Amino acid sequence: MRPLSLCDKEKIINRMSSFIPHTHLQGICLDSIVGEELTLRLPYRKELVGDPETGAIHSGVLTVLLDHTLGTASICCDQIGATITPTLDLRIDHLGVAPAGKDIFAVARVYKVTRRVAFTAGYAYCESREEPIAKATGSWVLMPELQFSEELFSAEAQVQQ
Amino acid sequence: MTLSDIIHDEPNADTLRRWIEKVPYATYLGIEAEVHGNEILFLLPANKKLIGNPTLPAIHGGVVGAFMEQAAGFYLVAKMDNPVLPKIIDFSLDYLRPSRLRDTFAQCTLTRQGRFIANVSITAWQEQSDKPNAIARAHFLIPERSTDTGIP
Repeated sequence: MRPLSLCDKEKIINRMSSFIPHTHLQGICLDSIVGEELTLRLPYRKELVGDPETGAIHSGVLTVLLDHTLGTASICCDQIGATITPTLDLRIDHLGVAPAGKDIFAVARVYKVTRRVAFTAGYAYCESREEPIAKATGSWVLMPELQFSEELFSAEAQVQQ
Repeated sequence: MTLSDIIHDEPNADTLRRWIEKVPYATYLGIEAEVHGNEILFLLPANKKLIGNPTLPAIHGGVVGAFMEQAAGFYLVAKMDNPVLPKIIDFSLDYLRPSRLRDTFAQCTLTRQGRFIANVSITAWQEQSDKPNAIARAHFLIPERSTDTGIP
């Protein structure tokens, strides 16, 4: 299929984040798209804390953020574009702790595409890309027969109410 | 009182409720736990704020993973002879079918507990326990207790 323009990639990623109730409520938003690499941002919120003694974000929050970022990275992959990609599996290594008060960034890129599977890798960081707090790899099933429909996006306003 | 202060309590339903209350994110997700003899049944009640696919609608896969990981952590603490707060090392999750907007359950198995590391496997399902929605495995680091080393 035809690769999406940067503008289209941004538009679809933004719509996905707001169309999905959970990511919309979490405030997950687009940070940047550089080529086929996607970076999303999750703003710090007290209800996401796992350890009230330190204020550190719960490791499960990273599972949500990395699942969403690695999953939507397929939209930025020029071999894939806007298709539905259910998650097959996800593996997360916890390398550090998300400190209190800091937004979390998640970066992802599809590194191999076959007819049915997209292999994706990414990581999460708070202050520096050189010091990731988590690394993730996962596989997504490609369903090119299921393109995002116009209907999906026209329902957006209704869902957000 | 913090979670560390109450992890030694007998892991009955009331204790688990108090553990969950001490973790803001577990409270936000709405996690509940029932104790049946030696088994702990964890519950993630259906809630529209957890939707990841509005078309089906289905619960966000990452949320199901977060629920399973939190269940594994509480389960491990409940099974420890000398409870300490474990730290997650890694988490590996296989999605088997979409989790619809229904109550989701999770049960854990402590596959191996060594001195420093524990391996917990988790199964999550909705309508039938023999039709899992997701299976996962977590490794936890068991921090050495400072009180164990400083014998006066």
